[in-house]
Amino acid sequence: MTVNKELIEKIRRKIVSEKGDLINRIYYEEGAGLLIEVSRGNLREIAYYVHEILDTYLRTVAGVDERPIKGVFSAYYVFGLDGYGLNIIVVTHMPPEDPKLPSITDIVPSADWYELEMYDLLGIRFSNRKLYRFVLPEDWPEGVYPLRKDTPYNIRPKPVKSQKQVLSGPRIPVGPYHPALHEPEYFELYVEGERVVDVEYNGFHVHRGIEKLGESRFTYQQVPFLAERICGICGFVHSVCYTQAVESAAKIEVPERALFIRSILLEVERLHSHLLWIGVACHLLGYDAGFMHAWRIREKTMILAELLTGSRKTYGINLVGGVKKDINNDKINATMKTIEWVENEFKKLVEVITSIPQIVKRAKGTGILPRSDARKLSVVGPVARASGLKRDVRKDYPYAAYKYVSFKVPVYSEGDNLARLLVRVDEVFESINIIRQLLDQLPQGPIMSEEIEIPENAIGVSSVEAPRGEDIHFVITGKDNKLYRWRVRAPTYQNIPALKVMLKDAPLADAPLTIASIDPCFSCTDRIQVVDLSTGKRRTISFKELQRYNICPRCGL
Amino acid sequence: MNKMKPLKLLDIARKTGVVTIRYPDKPPLITSEFRGRIVIDASKCIGCGACVNICPSNALTIKETYDKRIINYFIGRCIYCGSCADVCPVKAITITKDFELATENIKDLNNKVVHYKVVCCRCGSERHAPENMIKFVIRRVPVAETYAHMATNCKKRKFVEGMLHGRGMLYVEAK
Ligand code: SF4
Ligand code: SF4
Repeated sequence: MTVNKELIEKIRRKIVSEKGDLINRIYYEEGAGLLIEVSRGNLREIAYYVHEILDTYLRTVAGVDERPIKGVFSAYYVFGLDGYGLNIIVVTHMPPEDPKLPSITDIVPSADWYELEMYDLLGIRFSNRKLYRFVLPEDWPEGVYPLRKDTPYNIRPKPVKSQKQVLSGPRIPVGPYHPALHEPEYFELYVEGERVVDVEYNGFHVHRGIEKLGESRFTYQQVPFLAERICGICGFVHSVCYTQAVESAAKIEVPERALFIRSILLEVERLHSHLLWIGVACHLLGYDAGFMHAWRIREKTMILAELLTGSRKTYGINLVGGVKKDINNDKINATMKTIEWVENEFKKLVEVITSIPQIVKRAKGTGILPRSDARKLSVVGPVARASGLKRDVRKDYPYAAYKYVSFKVPVYSEGDNLARLLVRVDEVFESINIIRQLLDQLPQGPIMSEEIEIPENAIGVSSVEAPRGEDIHFVITGKDNKLYRWRVRAPTYQNIPALKVMLKDAPLADAPLTIASIDPCFSCTDRIQVVDLSTGKRRTISFKELQRYNICPRCGL
Repeated sequence: MNKMKPLKLLDIARKTGVVTIRYPDKPPLITSEFRGRIVIDASKCIGCGACVNICPSNALTIKETYDKRIINYFIGRCIYCGSCADVCPVKAITITKDFELATENIKDLNNKVVHYKVVCCRCGSERHAPENMIKFVIRRVPVAETYAHMATNCKKRKFVEGMLHGRGMLYVEAK
């Protein structure tokens, strides 16, 4: 991260002069940001100050069991000061016998999930809010906290009987999972006639305990392969984000050529991801011809990725300190050719897609997320940009080789599904443009730094603009060539809560596209269960029956 | 005019033609860089375990018995990252382009490289390292030849004896 030292000093002095009496310690850590240590009594006031007065947004929160090294539990609240590209990290400690914090969800609504997660995984309690089982399965016993250091990573506690109550009222569950697609999710849409009145989200069905694995079983250079498997679409984003976090914690200088290669691959990944999304959006709207052509174009980007890395997905070439595989002249030429072809074909296709009245009409004005809600919920990526927030990590917190290229950040103010579609369409062209510039400037030199030494107890924060928004990794380095703490926050984590706003009071038929418009996964859309609560019968409806229910047979809702 | 625009897709489709490749009748679409299954050349492998150490997914494991050292490659866990090939000191591992690895017999997924450990040249009972490893060491450090065939304990003993001898504190018993 390259942040102006004077600016940091200015902000530091401002904070000290205005809130100095509430702060225990304030210091700048190069790989992470400006750290503010507060006692838990002052947490709410400082959170309010940082969030509202300094006008930041909550990027991630990491709860850490620091008992073995500092004798306390800690929580790191990472706020982002976009204009300066600076992280402001509010740290608070809790005594081991009483891990409790005041909730800040009324001040920062997007803290909701983070608090629930800390409660579930670390056993930190929060006052003034409702706490409930969130990540862990319902049959997980009380009092076993997976992320505590005294819990082994391979623990398998005996399941207990779950006591979840069933809610009353008509509801349509969407989900939880489709074997052919990634990331199961489960939505319960509460409806009145055709109108959605409320949405419940129930996720984490595939919580794999990756953070714990990375902290306990994997070494620094093995974690990139694990990180790559967090997501089946934007895996490289996670591995870059992880390696950058460790590199910034350990202050490792990565050779420029490696940075360029990382950026090129990140953009290739964005191309395939956006083309995939555009295809699926067409499919959801019943325009399968568009779906097939979008994927036909996408296929070329997949082959390109294989040519550059050795694999279509999970590229497996990223390590702490650089990359494993170089790009030669033949590959540069092949890449240039492919992106030119993709650009031409995609241009033609977009012209067609945006002229189809069914698509435009169904996307326009549906699933609206107003700008104010977008800011309050700290949404990221195309969702934020379609709601008028110019938020793009590539510009705000420059990493890899993005500072060497010029590109536009497309912003739309409508906040509807069409705007989200158009943001992605524009970004495809921007990505092509970026790849071209990077290939033109590709510097010579090594692709792996020679000296890699990782000190203990260093903090690193890094973010990468994934196709679906900002991805953040927070690391604390540890002993024995292993991480002490690894916190991953994927973009959808920030965006799903916004669905509540988008879906509310909207017609049921728009729900699939709206859910899809944040680009989570589509696993939820083609299996529907209708629950008759009076008899408790549950059955899956066939396409024919769906038609009788007046639900679109094609998209499934 | 605008109403006719969607029909442009027909034109695109006609020009593009069929893009689906009739796999498996036709060869698969893989590039020159594709990483598939790995193959360990048993004659080159020295059983050092570097590949086992780096393997992120535990596809490679090592088993040590009294007289054998076995490197096992279980394809079912392999993520085709190629890290093992990068670290192998003798380049015994090659990355192939095979990816059609489905089988009805799980045994096909386990590939073993078995190294027999050599008997100590001094005590004649203890076994310490595979033959290939010893050759490798001697090739790299020729002076090691006197020690290389010796088991760990014998090496220690020989070292101590050598030192004592040098200081005139040990006498070779007359036969
Ligand atoms: S390719 Fe990767 S996963 Fe497979 S055996 Fe080698 S190191 Fe292990
Ligand atoms: S394959 Fe190579 S790295 Fe693995 S044990 Fe044999 S010599 Fe060592």
